Amino acid sequence: MPDGIVLACLVGLPFVAAIVAGLLPTRARDTASMLAGAVALVCLGLVWSAYGTVSGGGVLRAELPWMPQLGLSIVLRMDGFAWLFAGLITGIGALVVLYARYYMSAEDPVPRFFSFLLAFMGAMTGLVLSGHLVQLALFWELTSFLSFLLIGYWHHTAAARDGARMALTITATGGLSLFAGVLVLGHIVGSYDLDVVLAAGDTIRDHPLYIVALILIVLGALTKSAQFPFHFWLPHAMAAPTPVSAYLHSATLVKAGVFLLARLWPVMAGTDAWAWTVGLAGLITMLIGAYIAIFQNDLKGLLAYSTISHLGLITLLLGLKSELALIAAIFHTMNHAAFKCSLFMAAGIIDHETGTRDIRRLSGLNGPMPFTARLALVAAAAMAGVPLLNGFISKEMFFAEALSATAPVHPLLNVLPLAAMLASAFSVVYSLRFIHGVFFGSPPTDLPRTPHEPATWMRFPVEILVLTCIMVGVLPAATVGPYLDIAARAVLGDATPYYSLAVWHGVNLPLLMSVVAMAAGVTIYLILQRRLREGMDGPPLIRHLDAQRLFERAMVTLSWRLARTLERIAGTRRLQPQLRLILIAAIVAGAGAAFVRGVGPGNLVPAPIDPVLALLWVVGAACALGAAWQAKFHRLAATILLGGVGLVVCVTFVWFSAPDLALTQLTVEIVTTVLLLLGLRWLPKRMQSSSAREPEVLGRTRRLRDLAIATAAGGCMAMLAYVVMTRTPPELLAQHFLARAYLEGGGTNVVNVILVDFRGFDTLGEIFVVGVVALTTFALLRRFRPAADSVELPEQQRDQLEADEARHARDDGRHVADWLLVPFTLTRLLFPVMLVAAAFLLLRGHDLPGGGFSAGMVVAIAIILQYIVGGTEWTEDRLSLLRPPAWIGTGLLLAAGTGVAAWAFGLPFMTSYFSYADLPVLGKVPMASALIFDIGVFVLVVGATLLMLIALAHQSVRGRRSTPRTLPQAKASPRVADAVGGGG
Amino acid sequence: MNGWLAGLAVLIPLAGAAVTLLAHGLPRAQTVLSLLFAAALLLDASLLMAAVWRDGMVVVQASAWDAPFGISLAVDTLGAVMTLIAAITGLACLAYATAEIDEGHRRAFFHPLSHVLLAGVCGSFVTGDLFNLYVWFEVLLIASFGLLVIGGTRAQTDGAVKYVALNLVATSLFLLATGLIYGLTGTLNMADLSRAVPRVENTGVLNAAAMLLLAAFGMKAAVFPLFFWLPASYHTPLVAVSAVFAGLLTKVGVYALIRTVTLIFTHDPEWINGVLLWTAGLTMLTGVLGAAAQNEWRRILSFHIVSQIGYMVMGLAIGTKLAIVGSVFYLVHHIVVKANLFLIAGVAQRLTGSMELKRSGGLYEAAPWLAILFFIPAFSLAGFPPLSGFWAKFIVIKAALDERSIAIAAAALVTGLLTIYSMTKIWGEAFWKPHPAGPVEETGAPRAMVVPIAALAACTIVIGLFAQPFLAVAERTAAELTDPSAYAAAVLGRLP
Repeated sequence: MPDGIVLACLVGLPFVAAIVAGLLPTRARDTASMLAGAVALVCLGLVWSAYGTVSGGGVLRAELPWMPQLGLSIVLRMDGFAWLFAGLITGIGALVVLYARYYMSAEDPVPRFFSFLLAFMGAMTGLVLSGHLVQLALFWELTSFLSFLLIGYWHHTAAARDGARMALTITATGGLSLFAGVLVLGHIVGSYDLDVVLAAGDTIRDHPLYIVALILIVLGALTKSAQFPFHFWLPHAMAAPTPVSAYLHSATLVKAGVFLLARLWPVMAGTDAWAWTVGLAGLITMLIGAYIAIFQNDLKGLLAYSTISHLGLITLLLGLKSELALIAAIFHTMNHAAFKCSLFMAAGIIDHETGTRDIRRLSGLNGPMPFTARLALVAAAAMAGVPLLNGFISKEMFFAEALSATAPVHPLLNVLPLAAMLASAFSVVYSLRFIHGVFFGSPPTDLPRTPHEPATWMRFPVEILVLTCIMVGVLPAATVGPYLDIAARAVLGDATPYYSLAVWHGVNLPLLMSVVAMAAGVTIYLILQRRLREGMDGPPLIRHLDAQRLFERAMVTLSWRLARTLERIAGTRRLQPQLRLILIAAIVAGAGAAFVRGVGPGNLVPAPIDPVLALLWVVGAACALGAAWQAKFHRLAATILLGGVGLVVCVTFVWFSAPDLALTQLTVEIVTTVLLLLGLRWLPKRMQSSSAREPEVLGRTRRLRDLAIATAAGGCMAMLAYVVMTRTPPELLAQHFLARAYLEGGGTNVVNVILVDFRGFDTLGEIFVVGVVALTTFALLRRFRPAADSVELPEQQRDQLEADEARHARDDGRHVADWLLVPFTLTRLLFPVMLVAAAFLLLRGHDLPGGGFSAGMVVAIAIILQYIVGGTEWTEDRLSLLRPPAWIGTGLLLAAGTGVAAWAFGLPFMTSYFSYADLPVLGKVPMASALIFDIGVFVLVVGATLLMLIALAHQSVRGRRSTPRTLPQAKASPRVADAVGGGG
Repeated sequence: MNGWLAGLAVLIPLAGAAVTLLAHGLPRAQTVLSLLFAAALLLDASLLMAAVWRDGMVVVQASAWDAPFGISLAVDTLGAVMTLIAAITGLACLAYATAEIDEGHRRAFFHPLSHVLLAGVCGSFVTGDLFNLYVWFEVLLIASFGLLVIGGTRAQTDGAVKYVALNLVATSLFLLATGLIYGLTGTLNMADLSRAVPRVENTGVLNAAAMLLLAAFGMKAAVFPLFFWLPASYHTPLVAVSAVFAGLLTKVGVYALIRTVTLIFTHDPEWINGVLLWTAGLTMLTGVLGAAAQNEWRRILSFHIVSQIGYMVMGLAIGTKLAIVGSVFYLVHHIVVKANLFLIAGVAQRLTGSMELKRSGGLYEAAPWLAILFFIPAFSLAGFPPLSGFWAKFIVIKAALDERSIAIAAAALVTGLLTIYSMTKIWGEAFWKPHPAGPVEETGAPRAMVVPIAALAACTIVIGLFAQPFLAVAERTAAELTDPSAYAAAVLGRLP
């Protein structure tokens, strides 16, 4: 088979099978396990089929371009080293599937389990077969993610959820770090291709960024392989179903870190920095892990810490500057996978058949389950490094390396053999504890289930693995020799040193060390046995050195305390501090920028100050200040003062010959003031003065500070404006507008031509703003219920009612109607006049001051007048045409339609068409299509203003209805409200 | 013809707003019309994208006035991409909304307001005029205010008032800055500005105006320290509304930042990009830290918007071509992912009865399909391969490392870690944990809700697995953005 197909199938097949398994019905346990087993075996077969190539030192390689711009492609590459790992992953995968078939309860959604497991197998295979660094990081993250799902498989328990989350947080962070490290490495080498990287060892080690890349990549590897100080996630991951622990946490996932370190060993190792980071982490992990393992009461916890310790051993070997140590590391990786996986499976069997994993409760299981006991005994002996088992041989190699290692500093040199012996002694202790505590002693009592041997096929995978341990242990060179050789040569190439795999190397120092460690281990166990049986509260001496607690505290600090503090400082939910912050930010940004780069002087001489205009502006400024000052204390006064400001602006417009703006400003001013006044009525009463809540000094300081901020903001803005206006650029658009408005726009009123033609697109947007404001006001007030303190009728209305009652008038409001008779009549007479005026403004707008907007405003004012004087009900009875939303819609459609109409003439959108039309009576009238646009604006403005008016005016109608009081039900016209869409 | 495609990107939603308003009394017709107009916008945006890709930049002078006298609409690849993605998100959220809104929401003008909002978004993306951009910002602001208060509850009104008050300040800053810039250069056309700005001698005032403008955009984009309005208001409105907001509104701010910084304010990169880089880092970290302290779906997601904006600004601040590719890729990816997460939050609320994680749970058993749909955007957001977020992060961080900006790359990585932490929090609480009030009923959600979610999730996967064409688009975008003179020449039609 071509390389590409073999490799693609190896990676792809498990993923495809994962999807298929995921689609199986929840109870299809047998189908799912058969599928998973078959896929694992097929993959194993595929790996085996590549043996021919890799055994001759060949490399299978397949490349598929993916994202050439980023230098990314999919590269699958299998050399001897990857081949060995792929074999481990698929082979042990097949055994775990068989085991899981019997371990998983039929009540669990087993197909989901196998789906995740298969996907994990695919990701892991993808990782070891990656020939591209980014792709490796990608599969790396994928394995973290899938292990998250697998650890949390029993998600109803909090332990599983927390364990999964912790594992993901640690390993995915490591993954991100690795990802960054890979980027740096790619930056150094100029390529992400593994072959290129592996050929660039000297470039990498001599590069100034080497340390950065090293730290980032090592961080990734240490987190994944549960090395100190990131080891604590692994014991928590034991909440996973046991097949997951056996597969991920002994044989595959945790080996990924070691795999990566070994993979990059030829190009990154050999420096002091490497030895210090990798070697030291391994050394500490090996000792601490083994020590803590002794004191675990949970079988899986013991195995987890033992795994941590053995991974530490492997990491330590990788950290040494020796090729032989690398070979020992690879060898121990394989051995560890075999015995640890079988031990996990044995622990799972014990758990499955007895219902507990607590060593203190278990004892004497040798009676009811003799086969399992023998298997576990052999596996544990391998873990302890007993001769004639595989663990012994790699341990001997480790001892030899520990003795001959050239460590970067002198003292470490002496420590190494001692530490190796100590760790080995510890491993004897916990192995003894596992076997002696569980299988020997008095017969078991008081267990949740009566123990018995498991199903034959459940024990089968353990048998295979234990057999492997024995065979490798007895005949290492004949069994595992060739494979180890392939892997070692793939990593080291020609630098592979001579080594010998044999049980007996004669009486030498390593053997002596083994004997001493063994004896020490047994002695320690005998001393500790009783106390361990009674249970000890964590490992002595380092009980408080709990990395997990540190991690949790760090996460709490980060995610809770720091976040809360930040929220308190910057994320206040109150409006005032937020506004303050924005203004300060704006001042700092603006003034800072101006200050840093400097502000040049102006080139224009300021015009002389006109005393009248200055006075006007003094009045206007006083009004503005007064409005701001009174806004909190006297709303009516503030509104009126605001009107004063508007008026000053209006006069200023006239002053500078902008009648159009003045007209618009005036009408807008009138309408807004009326609407504001209508709204004032429903605002809640003013809050009590703040002196009740805080000392007056504080309040005053706060106000002074706000005043300072406001002054600074205004002052800076004025300065900037002054600088800009005393230094005009040579060309302003305005000059072009003046020149072209009539000749090309067909109107002498430049402002109007700008609005409907030059910048008609702006106007189109703005009228939608007006329309939306009206719709929103209406929608908001539709559900508005006034505050309790403003429901009461105002004093004036009460007086009127009293007067009405005193005179026994037939209907309420008579008194007002009498009083207002004259203005009432006048406004009715004025109504048609104002409509004509509006039409006049609208039609002449293109040439003289006016236009759709001001015309609409005038109509709105006319109707407001009727409302004010005639009352809501009277007006609405007579103006049944008032359907403001329809007006708004029509206006918007007309305006937008004018924009589209140009399409028919093959012109760009919004283009206006212009000609003169001969109308009867009026004569020759300039007609621009812009007029239709303007009519749209007009219709919209009328509709929008009215809708707001109605929304506000109906508050009082509804207010009266909702308060029975002494009033009879008001005869409100529901028509308008219904037309609008159901207020009332 | 191409010019019309640009104009119609605004006119279609505007007409949609007017028509749905006129159909206010006919509920069914209004819903159908609303969806039709949204679909028409999507069609137009697709054609526009195709036209830009085929023929290069689409420029049209509104009202047929030569630039810079009228208003130019100028759609380069970035504009076209953003319009397209806005149309997709708009249609998805409107479709979702048909199942979510009740008669009260409809009567409060949900459909017209939504279309005005879309018009504002698309208008911002197609315009080539600074003041016109201001107009669309205003349109956006007011339509979003209307949509925020549509339910009329106390929390919504409270959030909306803050939202509108703060955003009005930002909009005023925008207007003031525009005035200053007009005073300095005499023009509003962005292409013209890109030629005029380097000639301005008064760099201090120019930078001050630029800073005010960037502050206004930054506030829209919710960058540090101007982001607090966002988490204060985004968790209150209708789910469909918050999804549109989450997807599009802040991104309009980011778009405006990208547009102005790359096109107009190229005169002083040391100062402007320096400020942006600090902003980016602080935005990422504060946003993600804020998210960690939250325990409500939409609050968590809202803070994540902030932190993700940081990545986009980071790309812009670094300013190399690759970094801008990253920014643009991030922008597109994030719109799809974030809108989708909000929609999923809505379905989760429907099934479990709460958005509070404490009172939620059991979704993994009750709605495994939702779990899968959540997984895709959530882990894309966290930057897991091979989802779209991975590429976005990859490119931005690679660009940072290429420029040796180690600190910002580190900040980006830490943010990534905390994002994973947050997403697994939602996952653990809402999906894995059993519901405190007993098992969740295995009821489905309306098809109108599930289909948009699935469609957006499919987008995420497609962008992730087949990133190549998207990357090509991002590359062309970056090439255009790093060459402002080409933009100017295309709009002004003559060389300086």
